Amino acid sequence: MTYDLIGAVLFALLTIGIVAAAAGVVLINRITAAALFMAFAFLCNAGMFVLLGAETIAMFQVLIYVGAITVLILYGVMFTPQSERAYGLFFQQQKWLAAILVAPIGVAVGMLSFSFRDTGRPLAGGGDLVALATSVFRDFAFPFEIASVLLLAAMIGAIVLVKRDED
Amino acid sequence: MAVPIGAFIAVSAILFFIGVAGVLVRRNAVVILMCVELMLNATNLALVAFSRRAGLADERGSVFVIFVFVIAAAEVAVGLAIVLSAYRNRPTVDVDEVHALKG
Amino acid sequence: MPPGPFGLDPVLWAILRLLIAVLLAVGLVFNGALAQIYLERKIQAIMQDRVGPIHVGPWGLLQTFADAIKLLGKEDIRARLTDHWFFLAAPAIVFSPMLASYVVLPFGPGILGADLNVGLLYLTTLGSMTVLGIVIAGWASNNKYSLIGGLRSAGQLISYEVPQILSLVTVVLVVGSLSLTHIVDAQPGWQILALYLPLAFVTYFTAGLAETNRAPFDLPEAESELVAGFLTEYSGMRWGLFFVAEYGEVTVVSAIATTLWFGGWHGPWTDINPVVGPVLGALWFTLKTYFFVLVFMWVRATLPRLRIDQLMSLCWKFLIPVTLINLMATAVLLLVFPDTHLPVAIANWVLLVLAAAAVPFFQRRRLVALRQRLAAA
Repeated sequence: MTYDLIGAVLFALLTIGIVAAAAGVVLINRITAAALFMAFAFLCNAGMFVLLGAETIAMFQVLIYVGAITVLILYGVMFTPQSERAYGLFFQQQKWLAAILVAPIGVAVGMLSFSFRDTGRPLAGGGDLVALATSVFRDFAFPFEIASVLLLAAMIGAIVLVKRDED
Repeated sequence: MAVPIGAFIAVSAILFFIGVAGVLVRRNAVVILMCVELMLNATNLALVAFSRRAGLADERGSVFVIFVFVIAAAEVAVGLAIVLSAYRNRPTVDVDEVHALKG
Repeated sequence: MPPGPFGLDPVLWAILRLLIAVLLAVGLVFNGALAQIYLERKIQAIMQDRVGPIHVGPWGLLQTFADAIKLLGKEDIRARLTDHWFFLAAPAIVFSPMLASYVVLPFGPGILGADLNVGLLYLTTLGSMTVLGIVIAGWASNNKYSLIGGLRSAGQLISYEVPQILSLVTVVLVVGSLSLTHIVDAQPGWQILALYLPLAFVTYFTAGLAETNRAPFDLPEAESELVAGFLTEYSGMRWGLFFVAEYGEVTVVSAIATTLWFGGWHGPWTDINPVVGPVLGALWFTLKTYFFVLVFMWVRATLPRLRIDQLMSLCWKFLIPVTLINLMATAVLLLVFPDTHLPVAIANWVLLVLAAAAVPFFQRRRLVALRQRLAAA
């Protein structure tokens, strides 16, 4: 057993995790279970980032997605309770047509994705943070400022939209 | 030999396809938002895979991923605010029923 | 990869090391929780002028074991729940991030689980995963009061993450690295960072009190409010697991405070011997951490509980502006005087005094009304 075999095994496990969790989000009828499957997909994605050697991005992924966005979606689920509808109208009669149309696209995308070649030279894992920070604050300082203004606008907009008119 | 980059891109593509299928099929607005988040995660995976493996000097892909995080968070917040205020109007989040603007 | 003892296969040895590390961490957390449950009851008793547990064992030392046996023996009540799996999973989701935080804490020179170069970011990330477990616990209990308690607690935790992270970022600015070993190495001898950044320590401690749901911010789980909030439907060992998670989190917050502001494992005689030195370092670390745990308990015995709106306005209207101003001042001064840390220290102490003086200044109308009411009575 070599070290690379562990990498391949972890990749296989994470792939199964991501695909199963995403399929769960789409197919499961109960919304809170779907939200938790989505959180699991986020965690597996963070695992993929660690496999690629981008640990900082993996931690941001967990911090932002699992820590904040999942809680936000759970709040949304809890404040909009609905009786469960029947599953019946789900895939209707178009599933075979959809499968026939998606299959060649899927094959084409698969061939395209496996045609990419990497250099085989792994970037230094530990140098990830310093390079990232230098890029963000030097080369991309203006988009960074715009992103912060965007967040401020989104926050104010969300608060204004949800505010009740208290007379 | 480490895992080839094509495998990561293939996983990203599968995740994106499932996200699109979810947006088209599901009727609950909150679940549609969840599937949009899945699509954004798929793009993040592809960006980081290319950034780490394609041999460029700097890590532009990872920097762009940080901006995608920011925009995804802002979008989910505003999207949920819209869904909640629509729910206050008529107590439903079924997108098939929220068509009051239709002529 | 290094081979194991007796020539064990390297991969097998790596897996075995992982298992041993996890068992050690679990043992550490549970023993710490045992010690802290006893300490809390005794210290609260002493501060409230009573005796505390004295019957079980000498000075009541075995009281925690009696409590644990009682909790294990309780009936597992299952009300008609919203979702059985969520109900079972919630304590685990709250417990796991806390357990995973122990891997980056530097217990001594070289005694460290994993020297991540993003150690502080890792701790912050784990702190934000606890919120999910609490929301699920509130939801799965099928109880309106649990749901409200869970959502309130989640709101409190998310709000107080911001001043916590901003205080940590101030320290990172001065030290220049996110790695916890670098931060400890930047505080040799008596030059602990608390002398340079006291305001950041005070705001981190306050935010840490709120992050761990401890008094005076323990509205979501207090027994007299909302029937214990999101913990209502949990009985027996499930409740015990929530409380072990809380005490573990208190230990982690205290450990971070010691590492960042009080020199971590630094102390006298830590470099006399390659074997005795690290052990002494671990001893100093534990003593300093438990000093802060005792301060947590002291604060719990002293201050009254804050209401939820008072809590939220304290965070958003006081702590966040104070930490932001602190961060800006530190960053600007570090840019203008890149060699010395003295201007940063002066600015921080001035800001601390200003922040302490600002509280009665902003509350002066309420103070005037209070004085009038007291004079009229």
